[in-house]
Parts: sequence; structure tokens; C-alpha cells
Amino acid sequence: MRPSAVCLTRDPAMRAFFKSSLRGFSLRFCPSAAVFLRSRPSGKLILIDSSLPDMSGEDLAAVLRGDARTAGLLLVVAGPGNYSPAAAARLLDSGADEYFRFPPDPAVFRARLLNLLSRGAGRAAAPGQPAELAFGPLRVSPEARTVTVAGRRAALTALEFDLLLYFLSNGGRVVSRSVLLERVWKQGLDSGPRSVDKRIEALRRKLGAFGARIRTVFGLGYILKM
Amino acid sequence: MSSRPRVLVVDDEPDYLRIAARIAAGAGCSVATAATALEGLAMAEKTPPALILLDVGLPDLSGFEAARRLRRVPSLARVPIIFFTVRSELDMVSEGLRLGAAGYVLKPFDPDELLRRIKAAVLPS
Repeated sequence: MRPSAVCLTRDPAMRAFFKSSLRGFSLRFCPSAAVFLRSRPSGKLILIDSSLPDMSGEDLAAVLRGDARTAGLLLVVAGPGNYSPAAAARLLDSGADEYFRFPPDPAVFRARLLNLLSRGAGRAAAPGQPAELAFGPLRVSPEARTVTVAGRRAALTALEFDLLLYFLSNGGRVVSRSVLLERVWKQGLDSGPRSVDKRIEALRRKLGAFGARIRTVFGLGYILKM
Repeated sequence: MSSRPRVLVVDDEPDYLRIAARIAAGAGCSVATAATALEGLAMAEKTPPALILLDVGLPDLSGFEAARRLRRVPSLARVPIIFFTVRSELDMVSEGLRLGAAGYVLKPFDPDELLRRIKAAVLPS
């Protein structure tokens, strides 16, 4: 059977690239997330331009990965040539299976997609959590709930650990104090904007050099610079 | 009279209202803000904006219902709407885009991403 892919892009150059590098594939093109979602997401392999007119590739990957009906799709996102490694890491973290800078080498691109399709046949509905997350000097084990910075163990409280995970999964995005209270703090705990500030101060201290990456955005909240 | 495009931000969460307003101002827009859907609708009818940034989980009406009402006002029928929301469920996103939204941005958001989308919506291409 011919391999198939749905290509989400409005960019003529990307369209032409998919057509020429994926000869023999059955391709369907959608110019936006709206058109794709309206047509009932189907197919196995979805190629997504990171800057669609109506949604970012990162947000769309997270949405598709989060729904049981679309969690098993293979999501490949094409970023612009100046896409930073941090943005790519965030994209993969949001649920994309593969990422590449546009335009990649056509032969390698084609081979990678065919690999992905053959391996993806037995893919579980949702990806498991990786055993260890690495960001510069930081290593985080979500399962063992341990954190090391440059090899040294950081002794975080349960709340500080959850706070760090939230920052890591939202790196590069401004998070307000009220969102942190809603998403990270559990009911009944000492909670208020001041307690957020205090915990973040403690987290920064315990993370040593990495802690400085959690920046205060004056009057708004915090951002983790990746 | 200012020639800067006017952006209306509707969000009941003061932090996000401030962040989005600051980003829209950074894109060279004049900014009006509202904390409820009805207040936003009234402001939009009085002075049609060039773009509306609309939260979905508003206290009085959902952002989707607000968008439907905006579309029924002739002077506002073509104003681009960008939903910006924590609602990341597939059905919610599909519904938002089906309403003709120019964009759907998940919170917490990347400030650069929102800036790009605001510019793309208000600046002639």
C-alpha cells in the first residue's frame, strides 16, 4: 500500500518540497489547522508547518496528542531555518514525534518518514514519560522525582518539584502567579501570590546556576528562559 | 486621531489581560481591555477594533458565544478574533476555529508567538 501523509501548510515552498521529496506517497494538503480539524483528522502521518496561519505547530501538536482519537497520529513539525534548539525541544516535549528545520535534505527527510511510519505501526496511543529530562546542567527524573544540577543533587520539596516540572513543560512562556496557584498548588496549602514568590525564590536558590533562568517578568509573573 | 490599529483584549484574568495588553501595545497597537464578554461586546460595538483577543472561559458568556454575537453585528462581522485560552481539548479548538477565528493560542503562551499573531492580524500583508 502507498504510504500517505496529510500536509498542513500554506507555504508554497513547503508544499513543493513535500510533493517532490515524497514522490509515491499519497498526499493531502490542508492550508490551516481549521481545515484539517474540519475534515476529521485522518491518516497516520501528519506533517505540520510550525507557523500555520491560525495555530502554532507546538499548540496543535499538544492538542492532537491530548485527545484519545488523535493521540496515535505521527506528528512531524517543520520549523523555520532560524528555529532555536530550545524551541525544537519544546516542540518535541509538546508531543511532536519528529522535528526538522525547513528545508531538510530531501533524501534524509524521506527516509526518516518511512522509518517513522514502519516503527510507528505499533505505537502506543500516548507516549510514555521519558526516564530523564535534560536541560543544560539540569537532570530531572519525573518518576524518581529527583533533580541534579551539574551532577549535584538538589533537595526539592514536593511542591518545588511540581513547580519545576510546570516551568519545564512551559519553557519560554510567561506564567502568571494565579496560573501557578491554580495548576501547581494543591488545595489547603498556604497559597497566595506571596507564597508563590517565596517558593520560586527557594527553587531558584536550590537550582544554583540553572535557577537564574527562572526570570521575574515584572508585574506579570515568571518565565523560564530555555 | 490615532492611526494605530486598535486591539480589544477580553479576559477575566487580570494577569493575562495585562500581559496581552502589553504585547499588543508592543506591536504598535492601541489597546482597550474588558474583563467580561458583555463589556467587551459593548466596547466593540461602540468602537470597532482591528482585532479582538478573546478568552474562552469568561464569567458571563463563553468566548465562543461572544464570538457568535460579534459576528451578527454588521460592523464587527469581519473583525479578526484570536482566542487565547487554557482550553486545549480537541473539540474546543475545533469549535473555536469553526467559528472563523483568525487564531487559537494556548495559555500559557510564548510572548513572541502572540506578538507575531497580533502583527499578522492587524498589519496589511
